[in-house]
Amino acid sequence: MAPVPARAVRVENLSVGYDRHPAVVGLSGLFAAGSLTAVVGPNGSGKSTLLKALAGHCKPLAGRIDLGDLKPSDIAYLPQVHGLDLKFPLTLEDLVGFGFIGRRGLFGGFARTDRERLYGLMAQVGLEGLQRRPIGSVSGGQLQRALFARVMAQDAKLVLLDEPFNGIDARAAEDLAQLMARWPEQGRTVIAVLHDLDLVRRLCPQSLVIARQAVAWGPTDHAVAPEQLTRARKLAESWNVSDEPPVTVVQHAEHVG
Amino acid sequence: MSSLLGDQMTLMALKSASAGAVALAFGGAPLGVLMIARRLSLMGDALSHGILPGVAIAFLLAGRDPVALTVGALTAGLIVAGLSSLLARTGKLPDDAAFAIFYLSALALGVLLLGKMGKADEMEALLFGSTQALDAGGLVLAGAAASATLIGLALFLRGVLGEGADPVFMKTLGARFGLSHLLLMLLLALNLVAGFRAFGALMTVALMTVPAAAARFWAKGYGGQAAWAVALSAVSGLIGLFLAAVWGAEPGALMTLCAALLFGVSALVGSNGGLLQTRLAKAHLKGLKA
Repeated sequence: MAPVPARAVRVENLSVGYDRHPAVVGLSGLFAAGSLTAVVGPNGSGKSTLLKALAGHCKPLAGRIDLGDLKPSDIAYLPQVHGLDLKFPLTLEDLVGFGFIGRRGLFGGFARTDRERLYGLMAQVGLEGLQRRPIGSVSGGQLQRALFARVMAQDAKLVLLDEPFNGIDARAAEDLAQLMARWPEQGRTVIAVLHDLDLVRRLCPQSLVIARQAVAWGPTDHAVAPEQLTRARKLAESWNVSDEPPVTVVQHAEHVG
Repeated sequence: MSSLLGDQMTLMALKSASAGAVALAFGGAPLGVLMIARRLSLMGDALSHGILPGVAIAFLLAGRDPVALTVGALTAGLIVAGLSSLLARTGKLPDDAAFAIFYLSALALGVLLLGKMGKADEMEALLFGSTQALDAGGLVLAGAAASATLIGLALFLRGVLGEGADPVFMKTLGARFGLSHLLLMLLLALNLVAGFRAFGALMTVALMTVPAAAARFWAKGYGGQAAWAVALSAVSGLIGLFLAAVWGAEPGALMTLCAALLFGVSALVGSNGGLLQTRLAKAHLKGLKA
């Protein structure tokens, strides 16, 4: 697969949330071109909201997101909760094939190489022989693998994954994570919300620890240090009391260019 | 053969109505499968009522002129479809409520206009079909609607399916794909208008959705369901028309009842989750456990 030229993503003083309640406050920094960044933080710390905003699904309350010249079709987004209608008459093969829409357009037919690639991708995520199964008849883990294969089919420059290995057994999750870890070499910028800190330390060179605000952002060794995680947890506990974002920023986030 | 025919329908009329019913099956049934999958079956009903004021105004301006009636129906249908979609897209109301508001208003307006013109009888013919067969122009329209539907779906199917199955994903790719919803409604309105003069607006919708519902018991993917729906719709249409000719009854109603009967058979013996198959599978499982 030829490397795709990737673009960096910059956020400036970004606040996002719902109904004027911010889930992320004052986030500034750069996701470098061709980097793999893990987004880590306690529940409710704004990880999913941040990804949603980067994917263009919710508008910033303040600040801005600079995606450079990335078009919507250059972005692949795998949300934490899929929006699939499982009763829809679709097979796993159809579902993964949607990944080609961004490149081929609505009119463009699939080339023979697309079909070969589709079957190759499904094999890579462990779905051989299940191509014709209806989406409503497979397990949660199998569906998640199909959605992961669809992300791969999109061949996107920016990949946003929100807990992509949820519901997948440990061995398959490891295989998919290894696939993900190779994407930056192909020129893709990858931002993934992950819970498994062991996986983050092994595979993700960069990390953003977030607790509504950036707690740490930089090389994983430093960002996912125990003291940073403790700070994030303490911040999270403080909202449970007030349920409002902290008024003062504890410390400036570490940024990488 | 003609001796079998009642006063309601001549042989020529039967032939032309049969061609119309087959055209409607090819155009309407694949749309029906999409409407059911997208939980938009009500949209068909909404549109079938929504065309009333357009037809009434066409009556007022041009009498029974078929071109005027068709244009009036299509215009009104598109206005109802467009406004309902706009309202639904605000996200404040579910789709079905948005449709209910516009089609009920359109129905009220249509009833008022036809009543004022002293044409209340026409409303029954409009909703349930008149025994007048399709004229040549009507047949051309039915054929055009079927062709437009098949071409439209061939071009846009991926977007229409994607938007229905996974709107979040399609939204990430860019909002322009929202057009597929509009296309679906445009084609629906076109097929509805093509069928309403012969079979009635309500019965035309029934021939789109009932065979599509039955097809769910025979096939898993969209392609298979669409093929089954076309076949079931065409068979219902042809048997219904034949019985209508023999008994001198309303063709639209008999076609719909045939479709309902085929739905019942499909639900019972269908190979994709039919009642009998489910029972047999349960019995088999019980046997294995014992």
